[in-house]
Amino acid sequence: MSSDFEAYEQDFGTITAEVTNKIGRIPKLSGEEKTQLVLNVDKQLEEVRELLEQMDLEVREIPIQSRPMYNSRLKSYKGEIEKLEKDFKRSRIAYSDEVRNDLLGDDAGSSENQRAHLLDNTEKLERSSRRLEAGYQIAVETEQVGQEILSNLHSDREKIQKARERLRETDANLGKSSRILTGMLRRTERGKNGPAVMRSSSRNGFFSSSPVALI
Amino acid sequence: MEEACDMFVRAANMYKMAKNWCGNAFSQAANLHLQMQSKHDAATNFIDAGNAFKKADPQEAINCLNRAIEIYTDMGRFTIAAKHHITIAEIYETEMVDIDKAIAHYEQAADYYKGEESTSSANKCLLKVATYAAQLEQYPKAIEIYEQVGTHAMDSTLLKYSAKDHFFKAALCHFCVDMLNAKLAVQKYEEMFPAFSDARECKLLKKLLDAYEEQNLEAYTDSVKEFDTISRLDQWLTTMLLRIKKTIQDDESDLR
Repeated sequence: MSSDFEAYEQDFGTITAEVTNKIGRIPKLSGEEKTQLVLNVDKQLEEVRELLEQMDLEVREIPIQSRPMYNSRLKSYKGEIEKLEKDFKRSRIAYSDEVRNDLLGDDAGSSENQRAHLLDNTEKLERSSRRLEAGYQIAVETEQVGQEILSNLHSDREKIQKARERLRETDANLGKSSRILTGMLRRTERGKNGPAVMRSSSRNGFFSSSPVALI
Repeated sequence: MEEACDMFVRAANMYKMAKNWCGNAFSQAANLHLQMQSKHDAATNFIDAGNAFKKADPQEAINCLNRAIEIYTDMGRFTIAAKHHITIAEIYETEMVDIDKAIAHYEQAADYYKGEESTSSANKCLLKVATYAAQLEQYPKAIEIYEQVGTHAMDSTLLKYSAKDHFFKAALCHFCVDMLNAKLAVQKYEEMFPAFSDARECKLLKKLLDAYEEQNLEAYTDSVKEFDTISRLDQWLTTMLLRIKKTIQDDESDLR
């Protein structure tokens, strides 16, 4: 089992060396050769990834004691592959000026970063405009709901005013009727107790009222 | 006699509990009340009968409600009569779909409300009248109502936010009749009500007018779609806009 693994390791080593070589060459070439090389490197990267998968399967079949060692090796290989892919990407875009690379350091693949930045920004802008539109729609809906509520309030206001007026009218009518009733009651009581009391009370009433009237 | 009335009312209540929706008991109670000269009670029972019949037989309900309205107008209680006119109109709207009669009742209700100085309720009824009138292509009537309600709304602090909506609808009705009318109307409304020109609806109107002048069907559809994305167009608006669009198409074919 482990011999298979070692065979895979060897293959891995050779292919990665080739890939590194080609990646180093790509920036200096252009046009037809460059596209060819790019395709090649792509294919080899695919192969390497398949190798890694098979190595993974192998490691699972190995007894547990020796597994950690193989696992760590596997991890380092994966790291190498990722680094190679990054280099590959950068090499496709970066221009083939070695001197510029030396001056600006390794991360001179600025065009790649710029592109990513621009895409990010456009996405953010789109998201914000969509949210603004949604907010506007909600505001318009709120306005419509508010309109309805206001008109309902207006009509309710009129109804309440009407009701209040009618209430005041009824109140006045009730007051009048209670006065009439008390008047009627007084007159019947005077009639009951006989004319004498009526005369005296009426005379008292006259005497009390006339001085007030004179003044 | 009074006992008979009470018995009838109780029987009717029992029917209601049993969900039998029998308005007959109520109407008989009402007739008895009439004989006893207590108009109020009679009218109330007619209303109950009407409500009960609403579920069973709309025609009967309308009869009962009409009799109740007669009694109320006799007594001079126009507000309640107006309210019941509205109920009848609603029945015509939904169950019997007789829009002319519904319009008539709404108009009656609006008149009574105006008589009782409740302009707001009157405006509500008038708006319904205008919506149906415009659907039935009675444009002058609808235009008049919308303008009236709009001008009234402008003055009130509560209602001014709905004024622009009324002017928009009035302008649409003008449009259905004739384009020049619509242009003049829009200018008039802008003069009367400056806030109208800021409204999205006004901008839509201007775009539609331009599209109509140029007989450009696509521009028309585009502006309508744009407006729709922000605030959905309801049934009435879609019908009116479609009519206007058809006139554009007709004109195009006429020119050819």
